[in-house]
Amino acid sequence: MPTVKVRVKLYGTLGERLTPVERADGVEVEIPERPTVGDLLIRLGISPAGGTVVIVDGRVLAADDEVRPGVLVSLFQAIGGG
Amino acid sequence: MRFIRVNMNDRSIRVEEGGEAYAGLGGRGLTSILVNAEVPAKCDPLGPENKLVFAPGFLTGTSLPNTGRLSVGAKSPLTGGIKESNAGGTIATALARLGITAIIVEGQAPAGELSLLRIDQDGQASLVPAAEYRGLRTYTLVERMLEAYGEKTSVFCIGPAGEHKLAVASIQSSDVDGRPCRAAGRGGLGAVMGAKGLKALVVDQRGKSTDGIADPGAFKEAVKAVVALVQQDHMSAEVMPKLGTAALVGAVNSLGAFPSYNARKGVLEGWEKISGEAMAELIQARGGKTTHMGCNQCAIHCSNEFVDAEGKYVTSSLEYETIWAMGGMTGVADLDTIARLDHLCDDIGVDTMSTGVAVAVAMDAGYRSFGDGPAILEMVEEIGRGTAFGRILGSGPAAVGKHFNHDRVPVVKGQSIAAYDPRGMLGHGITYATSPMGADHTAGNLVGAYLEHKLDPLSPEGQIPTSRFLQITMAAFDCMGQCFMASVAMLSPEGAEAFRKVIEAKSGKTLEPDDFPQGMGIRILKAERDFNRRAGFTRQDDRLPRFFYEEPLPPHNKVFSFTDEEIDGTFDF
Repeated sequence: MPTVKVRVKLYGTLGERLTPVERADGVEVEIPERPTVGDLLIRLGISPAGGTVVIVDGRVLAADDEVRPGVLVSLFQAIGGG
Repeated sequence: MRFIRVNMNDRSIRVEEGGEAYAGLGGRGLTSILVNAEVPAKCDPLGPENKLVFAPGFLTGTSLPNTGRLSVGAKSPLTGGIKESNAGGTIATALARLGITAIIVEGQAPAGELSLLRIDQDGQASLVPAAEYRGLRTYTLVERMLEAYGEKTSVFCIGPAGEHKLAVASIQSSDVDGRPCRAAGRGGLGAVMGAKGLKALVVDQRGKSTDGIADPGAFKEAVKAVVALVQQDHMSAEVMPKLGTAALVGAVNSLGAFPSYNARKGVLEGWEKISGEAMAELIQARGGKTTHMGCNQCAIHCSNEFVDAEGKYVTSSLEYETIWAMGGMTGVADLDTIARLDHLCDDIGVDTMSTGVAVAVAMDAGYRSFGDGPAILEMVEEIGRGTAFGRILGSGPAAVGKHFNHDRVPVVKGQSIAAYDPRGMLGHGITYATSPMGADHTAGNLVGAYLEHKLDPLSPEGQIPTSRFLQITMAAFDCMGQCFMASVAMLSPEGAEAFRKVIEAKSGKTLEPDDFPQGMGIRILKAERDFNRRAGFTRQDDRLPRFFYEEPLPPHNKVFSFTDEEIDGTFDF
């Protein structure tokens, strides 16, 4: 099956299990072609219902949005303010 | 309901029953409705007609966690309108457990007279001459207070900025470790306290009574349900204890809405160095505390203790808004500098937000370069010393703009915006424009709706109703003494229902679904808007500065696009 690669940066407590270098530079993830945000989260072992925020190019993506190859994906946790 | 009225003219103190008009109120509801009823709207905020009101929340002092907030109300010298600012720490619980519903400070001490308001273990209030504490910074003052009155003492005090009656002066609250690092920062209420001739409230923590609970059994059950909801909320349960509010630095920069270099850009260069993640890593490596309890009755522990390279305490708690104002707006991507500035602001008693923005306006006008940390430390020191320039800076961003004849001043009603640019998060512009408090970060904060993908921050759709809903809801929760973090976990209909049961069990009165938060929130906003109208505010004051409409904000290159008519439709009551 054809795959695509995206670089993912994990913020908040999502990146706790990563090394400092992986947290700083992100990790490369290979997933089947035309992945959605939901597919990416499943691939990363993150529950899509867990308030995870997926940001690409300054915009929040929805669970069924496609993740384009080669983009930098930033994952955060939703917070109500501070 | 027990009110303590302190008249600074003749040093008289009177205890009275609160009366039916204030039944069921605490916190912001009590301060705003009382200020609207008793303070002449056109009075000089620093004159004898203004009143300074301190009120724990309706639920403060009970077994409901996260209810340790004290509201302070008055006419603001910064905005010229009504103001409520609230602080955590230990003071609210101390007052509530002495059965005190409100303290109302009236009149004005003769020039040069300075006092402490001491409240002892029996709840008896007295004014104590405080000439020997004149000019003291807050950390030294609190040490002296704890030596004089014992460790079981809460202190709520002003620093030199408050004594100088500067419009960015805060009132600092001692935390559970006895450090004055929590603040009622916004609106210059420290200046009102200084103008009254009051240096500090010094309150015994050993009180055991509260206003009483009508149905203790039902209260216990209702509290359990609210606690469960807060524990289920991953923000309160997971993110806040580990990263604190600073977790927002990454998300808001990634969305291009972090006002940087005096709101010239939406992303700070090097924001990764001042993110919540970077801060947690640094604090851990140095042996500080990433999880810390700052306020009494807290179950969330969003606070931290920032330490220097030698592991020595610098400040607590380094928060998102301070990191933004002192780092983003000034172009300083260095946590050590920001932490030192945070400590300095707490010590001299100024709001980190208004102060950081005032510095940023001066930098934007060419007074110093963005990114020059040592220059900022020197500028803020000048506020503490009360130099001529320090007094201009301490009068807030609008005063600095006037001084330099510079028109890029990000304020509404004289109060600076918060860490969300209204061109990158449109709904925040609605809240900034319409909140009776002036631009504000807790009055109606939409960032959660953006991050949860309920609203597109760059599309006008849904922004006004969401701002309206949040402003009403938060006004109601601000009556209860509950902190912002826990209130955010209560925004759903289930949260509101669970919370109503707590209020019902305490008051013994049945609430309809419309009564709380909607009914209570609207009642408070109406009182606040009524005061502002009588103080001379018009619709023209519900506007953002021109540059937000004209200058596109990179990276999205959008401007704030709502019309005046749309803004004026925000409150339909």
